[in-house]
Amino acid sequence: MVDIIKTVITRVLFLDFIKGLLVTLKYTLSRSITLKYPDHETWIPYERFRGEHKLHRNEDGRELCVACELCVAACPTDCITVVPMEDETGRRGINDRVAKVWEVNLVRCLYCGYCEDACPTTAVRLSRGFELACTDLDGTIREREALLTESPIPEHYEGGVVVKAKYIRKLIQIKPELWKQKDWWPAKPGRSKKR
Amino acid sequence: MVTLKVNGKEISVADGTLILDAAKEAGFVIPTFCYQAELSSLGSCRMCIIEIGGQKKLQPACITPVLQDMEISTETEQVEDARASMLEFLLSNHALDCPVCDKAGECELQDMVHKHGPRKGRFAEMRETFHVKDYPLSPVIVKNSNRCVQCMRCVRVCKEVVGRGVLGTIGRGAHQEETSFLKGELDCDHCGMCIEVCPVGCFMRRPYRYKSRPWDLNSTKTVCQYCATGCITKIEERDGEVIRSIASKDTEGFNGRMLCSRGRFGHDFLNNEERLTTPLLRVNGTLEPVSWDKALDVIKDKLKKSQPDRVGAVASARLTNEELYMLQKVMREGVGSSNVDASSRWSAGDSEAFIAATAIDGAGLSIDNCMEADTIFVVGSHISDENPVTDYMVRYLSASRRKTVMVASVRPMKLDRSAQITARHMPGRLGAFLAGVTLKLYEENKTKLSGVKGVKSLDGLSIDKLSKASGVAPGDIEAIAKKLSSSQSVSIMAGTDMIRLGDGTGGLCLLSDILKTLDKRVFVLPLLDRSNQRGAWDMGAHPNFGPGYSELKGDTGLDCGAMLEKASKGEMDLLYVIGDDILAMYPDRAFAEGAIEKVGFLVVQDIFLSDTGKVADLVLPGASFVEKTGTVTNQEGRVQPIKPLRKPLGKAREDLNIIADIGSMISKNGSFTGDITAETVMEDIKKDVPMYGDVECDEQGCRGFLIGGVARRSLKCISVGEEDTTELKENKKYPYYLVTGNHLFGSGTLTGSSSMLRKLIKEPTIEMCIEEAKSSGLTDGDMVTVESDGGNGKYRLQTRKKSSSKVVFIAENFNEGSVNRLYKIGERVPRVSVNKGA
Ligand code: SF4
Ligand code: SF4
Ligand code: SF4
Ligand code: SF4
Ligand code: SF4
Ligand code: FES
Repeated sequence: MVDIIKTVITRVLFLDFIKGLLVTLKYTLSRSITLKYPDHETWIPYERFRGEHKLHRNEDGRELCVACELCVAACPTDCITVVPMEDETGRRGINDRVAKVWEVNLVRCLYCGYCEDACPTTAVRLSRGFELACTDLDGTIREREALLTESPIPEHYEGGVVVKAKYIRKLIQIKPELWKQKDWWPAKPGRSKKR
Repeated sequence: MVTLKVNGKEISVADGTLILDAAKEAGFVIPTFCYQAELSSLGSCRMCIIEIGGQKKLQPACITPVLQDMEISTETEQVEDARASMLEFLLSNHALDCPVCDKAGECELQDMVHKHGPRKGRFAEMRETFHVKDYPLSPVIVKNSNRCVQCMRCVRVCKEVVGRGVLGTIGRGAHQEETSFLKGELDCDHCGMCIEVCPVGCFMRRPYRYKSRPWDLNSTKTVCQYCATGCITKIEERDGEVIRSIASKDTEGFNGRMLCSRGRFGHDFLNNEERLTTPLLRVNGTLEPVSWDKALDVIKDKLKKSQPDRVGAVASARLTNEELYMLQKVMREGVGSSNVDASSRWSAGDSEAFIAATAIDGAGLSIDNCMEADTIFVVGSHISDENPVTDYMVRYLSASRRKTVMVASVRPMKLDRSAQITARHMPGRLGAFLAGVTLKLYEENKTKLSGVKGVKSLDGLSIDKLSKASGVAPGDIEAIAKKLSSSQSVSIMAGTDMIRLGDGTGGLCLLSDILKTLDKRVFVLPLLDRSNQRGAWDMGAHPNFGPGYSELKGDTGLDCGAMLEKASKGEMDLLYVIGDDILAMYPDRAFAEGAIEKVGFLVVQDIFLSDTGKVADLVLPGASFVEKTGTVTNQEGRVQPIKPLRKPLGKAREDLNIIADIGSMISKNGSFTGDITAETVMEDIKKDVPMYGDVECDEQGCRGFLIGGVARRSLKCISVGEEDTTELKENKKYPYYLVTGNHLFGSGTLTGSSSMLRKLIKEPTIEMCIEEAKSSGLTDGDMVTVESDGGNGKYRLQTRKKSSSKVVFIAENFNEGSVNRLYKIGERVPRVSVNKGA
């Protein structure tokens, strides 16, 4: 009897319908899951993410890579090419061995990170760059100069957030030095949310 | 024999065998650092320690000889522990900068630590740091002492094998540094032996510095082309650039780890940008690229219009056996002319006399066998420069086997220091000197020797007269004769000066006959300067005999000199020159220039545009030795394979194919068509040249040792009486005798195109006695003008100690300032004057 009364009330007052509408309403009012990628928003992966390679420099701005070719030897897919040379400009001290060629084929790479592990000077590190789409195969080869540019996402930043795309793009193109100011990138931007 | 047990396995070895070798025979490899087979024992690194049953302490295997019933264990825990601690000690003071060390990947210390090493080091003390930056020791050597394991191999190899002894040690114990005097630039052979033997990355090659890792390299095992010692070397390239040549433990040549500076550093000529890559035809006075079809058509056309006896071919003795065989076959069977020669430097008659005197038409003889003899007598060769690795072998084998070495030469050389007796004779008077030695032997054993053929020609000569003619003191002649007559066996090494100067072959023939009659074993080893000179003669690339020194069916042909003579009369329609630079090499440049100009049609096939190529009507691009397959025969009669590393550059082709193509165009019976490869030609050679019967072929190439052929009897020794025994006359205007030969850092156009060797010898030099220079007001490094009847040239003066005062030397193969401009036909030892100023 009670059940029948409950059913009648529910039906007469469209309670289920209202429940459903409330869910819809909730999602309408909350932040959307769909990213407006790539135009307005982008996702910053977690720190341990393995993306595009970067070559690093030390505090004095000297390349860390000593062209030992150990990354080449470690790479299971044979996608790195390193050709050493002697730096006769006197830029380096004892270790005047530098890379003449440092190239990686990003479509052969399986992002295993072995190169990173093999590197004795921590020169090569996989960054969080994942935007590797290109229109011809030449674009899949990254050369030394490109690899030596700083990654837009600071290494120490923990990641796992969505940010406005313009921050990243602007910073890459216009003011790389701004990346050194940590405040520029609020740890938990208001509109973003951890996933 | 001694019987012993190694790890429980019983073996018998000869008395005095080292435990190390005995274990190796039993199949157990003992790790070593300071041990090196060729070198004296040192026993300092203690890497090779092993356990001997009944002895408490471990013993070094590399200096301990075996004893009867020894029980040796090489793999016990105690031994392993000891090895690990030895390595720990080494690492405690090691730079360990493998990432920037050129040795990484082929470093003996790395390998050893991987295999036996401690996994942890306990030393926290500061390392000894000798210096912060690597320092150059020579244009080809870089040094880093922080990586040294103090094995002394470098010091020992330099002293005992190379004979320079310019390396030594500073300090003691862990502070010991092996380096040059005051760490200055070395003035040495620049052979890089110290680099090769150094187990770690202390000695490094400058040209290879920071270029690659061993695993990046693509390599081929082949034969060095710079002299007829025929060292096996591995030529390695990265991305198409030839970057080093090495002789390592695994190249397995008779030369072991030995190479000289030419062989080790001279192969960068292969990267030279000036290599020919397309056929060039002279159109309206300039050489213009044409297609192969066009080029071959032109040759066909010209050949058709020429009479056979007006066609000639001159090939370099650096071509392979297959190519030379093919060339003489094309000339003799296709063209119908025997005008084929394999040297522009000497005449057919002189080379024939040399072949007869050194029994090149017989079986091969290895240096190792040669060094079995009690006495080694080197004549007619500046062996230390011409055949450096043969010199190294003579030095260390004669020291370790306690042999007597005697040297008779025009110029002083490094081997003198290993020799018990040295005789300095005047240029062109080796014959007179050898006549003196034979005369002395003859006088002592008149009855026994009176039957020897040719001994009568000694009548009327006296030691005094011969001593005056040769410039060797009678005492030296007597001492040498005495040593020879007291030896049981004698090896005579005879060099190319005998062909170059047409001198001494008669004396050599008689000397070896006399020694044989005195019941001594006599070995005669030719020392040749072009990698395949012996092969070229075996193949019949000679106007006077065919393959295997066979009698010719038709007339004999013309040698290079005779061809030029004919050309100067305008009677040569076509001259085909392969790999030889007649203008730079023929001993009378002015004459050669005039003659070459009058050749009807000059075809030059080479890898560079040589001086002769520049005046050619047609230039064909050939292949270098790392771009072709084939075999070469070294001076010992060792047939060794040449294997390609890559394809010929651009449109260039293998020389064998070019020669065969020319043959197929003109042959009437089609004998040069079909599948002609190095292998098929080798089959023909084995049929035609009986000495090559033992040569075996597999995928690795063909190899073998020459067996006794059917010696051609008409190859006759000249008689001693024909040697020049007249007294030397002074010449006021031109006081000096000019001699030539190969330089340690250069032996032809190829070395001239090597940028590394050009760093070692920058410009044409003339060598002169230091006292004589002083008395004529000249000092080392001066620019001087050298003048002769034939012409003049400008050279940088280098003074030498202990030279004869009246002899000056200019190497025969500088591209600029070639020495042949000072020569005149018929004048074997030109007289020159040397004056200051350019
Ligand atoms: S991540 Fe792995 S596959 Fe990619 S370059 Fe490094 S080692 Fe090679
Ligand atoms: S990135 Fe590292 S491992 Fe690779 S060559 Fe450079 S230093 Fe060696
Ligand atoms: S010598 Fe060997 S162990 Fe020493 S730094 Fe060089 S590669 Fe490494
Ligand atoms: S430099 Fe090399 S060869 Fe010489 S002692 Fe040191 S480790 Fe041995
Ligand atoms: S001795 Fe002769 S064959 Fe041997 S490396 Fe030197 S030049 Fe080459
Ligand atoms: S190898 Fe035996 S002590 Fe060095």
